[in-house]
Order: sequence, then C-alpha cells, then structure tokens
Amino acid sequence: MVFILGVNFPERNLLKASRTLTQSGQQKSLETFFGIGNNTSARLMSRFNIHPTCRVGELANKQVLDLTAVLSEMKIENDLRREVLNDIKRMKETGTYRGRRHALGLPVRGQRTRTQIKTPVKLNRMERRL
Amino acid sequence: MASSWCWNCLSRLRPLSRALTAPSATPRISSAPFHSTAVQYAQPAKKKGGSLTVMKHRQSTSLRRKKKKVTERSRPPAVGERKALRKRIVLSNPNALEVEGMLDLSPETMVDSRLRGTVLGLPVPMIDRLRAVQAFKPKQGWSIFRRPGTVLRRDTIEMGRLFEQISGEGDNAQKGKVVKKIVTGMKGSGKTVHLLQAMTMAFLKNWAVVAIPDARDLVSGGTAYAAIEGSNPTQYVQPNATSALLSRTVDANRELLASLKVSQKHPNLKMLKPNSTLEDLAKLGFTDPAVSWAVFQALWTELTATAPAEGLEKNFQPRPPMLVTVDGLAHWMTESAYRSADYKLIHAHDLSFVNHFLSLLKDGDSLKNGGLLLYSTSSSNNPNPEGFKIALDRLAARRAGISPSSPEYPHLSAYSDADPRVLDLFQSAEKSLELQTLSGLTREETRGFMEYFARSGLLREIINDQWVSEKWSLSGGGVIGELEKLGRRVRGTVSASK
Repeated sequence: MVFILGVNFPERNLLKASRTLTQSGQQKSLETFFGIGNNTSARLMSRFNIHPTCRVGELANKQVLDLTAVLSEMKIENDLRREVLNDIKRMKETGTYRGRRHALGLPVRGQRTRTQIKTPVKLNRMERRL
Repeated sequence: MASSWCWNCLSRLRPLSRALTAPSATPRISSAPFHSTAVQYAQPAKKKGGSLTVMKHRQSTSLRRKKKKVTERSRPPAVGERKALRKRIVLSNPNALEVEGMLDLSPETMVDSRLRGTVLGLPVPMIDRLRAVQAFKPKQGWSIFRRPGTVLRRDTIEMGRLFEQISGEGDNAQKGKVVKKIVTGMKGSGKTVHLLQAMTMAFLKNWAVVAIPDARDLVSGGTAYAAIEGSNPTQYVQPNATSALLSRTVDANRELLASLKVSQKHPNLKMLKPNSTLEDLAKLGFTDPAVSWAVFQALWTELTATAPAEGLEKNFQPRPPMLVTVDGLAHWMTESAYRSADYKLIHAHDLSFVNHFLSLLKDGDSLKNGGLLLYSTSSSNNPNPEGFKIALDRLAARRAGISPSSPEYPHLSAYSDADPRVLDLFQSAEKSLELQTLSGLTREETRGFMEYFARSGLLREIINDQWVSEKWSLSGGGVIGELEKLGRRVRGTVSASK
C-alpha cells in the first residue's frame, strides 16, 4: 500500500487510470481525485518521468513524495468543489441568466429543454451539490 | 346463489345444474342490487392499472427493461496467467511424425549448398538458449511439427558463409570483419526466422549474442524511464528494460560469459569485485535495475575490448565476435510514447538504450572484434515512418548503383514530414550498411519445404512438380509464410491428382 496525498493506493493498481480498469469502478488511481483527469494525470506523470503503464508499486519513494508534494499544492478535491459551488452561488446571487438557470434546474448553456434535460434536472437546484 | 326466478319480470331463467355453476371462473358479483341475473353472465371485471395508451407528460415511450445482472461465477484468471498463455511458445507436437534422416543445423551443414531446400532441425542444446533470447515468436508455426526446424534457403547458406568468414575459417577468412545489414521483405517472408537462424549459427560458432526480440517494447511506454542528469539534449535510460536484456544475454551466453574475465577498469561500478567474470558483472545489473545501464555499458566495453587495461593483463582472453539482432526496427525511427518533463514526446533516438544500438549502424568498426549486425523490419507491426521508408529506398538505390544526383534516386516529396534525425542516421551509415531483402523461396526450395510437411504427416498430397508449382504461385512466389498456411491445411483424403 502506498499513500499518495493521504489516500491508500494498492500496489498493483495502475497509477494512471486505464479505461478497462476504471470501468470496474474499484481501481484507485490518480484520476480518482476530483479535478484530475486524463490530461492532468498524464502531465503530472511525465513531469516526474513516470511511464504511462506504471503500477503504484513500481514508484520510487522520491516519486511518491514528489507527486504528493505537487498534488497538495494543486486545487483538487474539496477545494475545487468549493470553488465551483462558490462560482455558481455568485451567479445566483447576482441574478445572472446562468444563475437563474442553475436555480431553476434547467440547462445553463443554451441547450434545448424539450427533451434530454435529465442531468440539469438532477443537478441544478438551489442547494447544489457536486 | 341467485334464484332462478327473475324478480322483475317473473320469467323463469334457464335452469342450470348446481354442479356447473359452482366452480365459477368469473368473480361473483354480490353487489348488483336490482338485478338477479346469474353471475355467470356478468362481464369479467376490468383490470386495474394504467394502460399503455395513456401517456404521462414527459415520459419516454421506449421500452425499458431491467438489465440482468451478470453474476461472475468462476474466479478470474490469476495475475499474469492470460499473458503467459498468450506468450506461450510450444516447440513440439508429439502427434506429428518424426522426420527420419533430418539433419541438424551445424557448422558443416549450414554452409553445405547440396542441402539447399531441406529443412534442418535446430540443435537440441541450442533450443533453451534460443528461448532465452526470445528468438521464437508465439504466432510462428513451431507447434505443428515434432521438433523445431528451419529451411536452408539461399540467404541462409550465404549467411552461414559470412559466419565462417568472420570467425576466421574457410577460404576467404576475414577475421574481425563487421557486417551491418538491415533485413527487409514482405509479410511472411521469414525475416524473424532469418534472425533465429543467425542466432543459432552464432551459438554454434561460440559468438556472443545480444538480441532485442521486439524493438517496440522499448518505445511503447511500457517500461520505466529516467532522465540522465546533465545530458544535453536530455537522454533517457530504461533501467528495467536494460536489466531484462542483461538477464536474457546471460541466460543465452552463460558459458561464454563465465569463461571471460573482466579486463577493463570500471570506476563507476564500485561493487565489482576484482577478478570476476563477465557473468558476475552482468548479474550486478539484473539484481539492481538502478545500475543496469552502467553495467550494460561496462559489459559492452568488455565484449568489444581488443586489449586489456593496464594491470589486468593476467586473465585477458581474446573476445569472440558478436551478433546483434533487433526485430521491428521501424519502431525506433519515430517518436516514442514517452514524454519529457515538459510534456513533449521523446524521440526514440533520445533513449540511450535505443541510441546505443542505432549508433552501431554508423560507419566505422562498432564491433571491435568483428561480428554481424542484423536489424530486421516487421511488416505486420509497422508504424511506417516516412523517413525510414525513404532511407531504405535510398539504401536500395545506392546498392543498385543509382547515384544521388540522378533523377531516379528517391527524393523527399515537397511537403514530406520525413524525420531529419532518421535521414541523418542513415546518411552517416551509408558506406557500410547493407540492405538484404528476403523474397520468396525458389521452386526447388519450395519442394523441399513442402516435402517436410508431408513427411511430418501434415500434408496428404502427392508432391510432384506440378503441385509444387501450383502452391509456389499461390503463395505469391514462394513466400514462406504463405506456403506454411497452405501446408498446414489438413486434407481428409488423398488427392487423385498426378
């Protein structure tokens, strides 16, 4: 088990998520952090010369420390969630169109509302969660 | 039970027997107060619940079914099991007939032109060593014969003679000569097996063999890499791939490496004990990947040493010639899947492992004790980089005697994005590099090859000139991979063709 930013990663996991493994939903990888996707994780890994198919157990100690150091400075997980929620809240309070759409549970970016608005109905509400 | 008299009109209803009415299927209606019609004439009650025709607002009309959950019954295969199955190499089939009188590849038979077209078995002691350098590939048809064997074709005999020359035997011995070849040819023309034959010959002649079974493994981003500090432009080492190469090399050349002693000074390797053998030296690398690159470099200087360093003359023995093979060269002629710290793709030539083997191609004596460089392309797994294609065309043109100033010489097209580094590499190797294009077998060789199938019990045909000629044409002019497909297609009955 390797701790990266306080999260325990099993050693045989791929560090970056591979498509097949994430589908099973059980793998922990860099991309399980909120705010780290394909691009960010690829850039992070190349920064420390980690190859794309690296397993967590293959990381050198220094690489683990470097990764943790960089991750702890990035705006990810709850910080990022808070920022996004604050942005939405600000829009609501200033009464912008986007803010209103957020509050009404309707799509924000000009999509049609006749069909296919499941996601905004689910997500956009007064007390928005991420 | 309702009465059979109607109270309204006092008419007598049709009498019914009690036995018929009692087990009524219709529900009994007891709340019809003003009519006493028999229960069995009543309409069946309407089912409750919404019908499909009544639509709710914003409800999808598509049929929704619950997905069945797939429950996993058996345990998944253990880690690495599927890969092991995929990479499994079977070299023997006990059901195949043993071919009587089959000769082995040996220093005598490999140059015997009388045996041309016959299939020679690989010597049994060599098979483990060939496995160690991964000379066999999973999709080759070794598993249909009793024992592995290869056909002695024209190119093989020529190569055998080359081995004799470089080893300093035979008529025109040229000891210490270095021959550099790129082996190309169409798909199924036997390039990889040509390398395998070369390795077998090298083992027979007691050469040192360094083989890279798949060039792609080094550039596909599947193995660890690390920047060499202070190098400009930044070079990268691949510690795990290097230690794997060392362990393969030791497995294959164990006797040879154990008989040679360290004869140079290696200040980088402090843990190297004095008076140790080259096997010990190489073992340092595959126990600790961190030093594997330094160990590999040390091993290379040892194997290419022509004279001992001062103070180490005591144990020095002359080093044997070397065979270096690489399969799938085209993968090294483009950018790798690795990325640098600033997220740019790393060119394959910036990987020091790759660069080491490519720099051997350049003009000059890269192998000081002589030897053979055989770098083959692959047609089934080919990234097809344009620069490499042009470079090979130019090489072929130069061998054909076309001067670079003539219009027939292959030139870059106007908007070509050919890699200048690749072109530079081949520019600096133009004097000594040769291009060997493997084509199909001749008809005589085809006959020998097909007879081998028949004698192994795989082919139930009468093999005559007409039949061989037909198969030769069907296989695109004797392309050996296609011939094998034709040969292994088992027929149920003996054909009547004569």
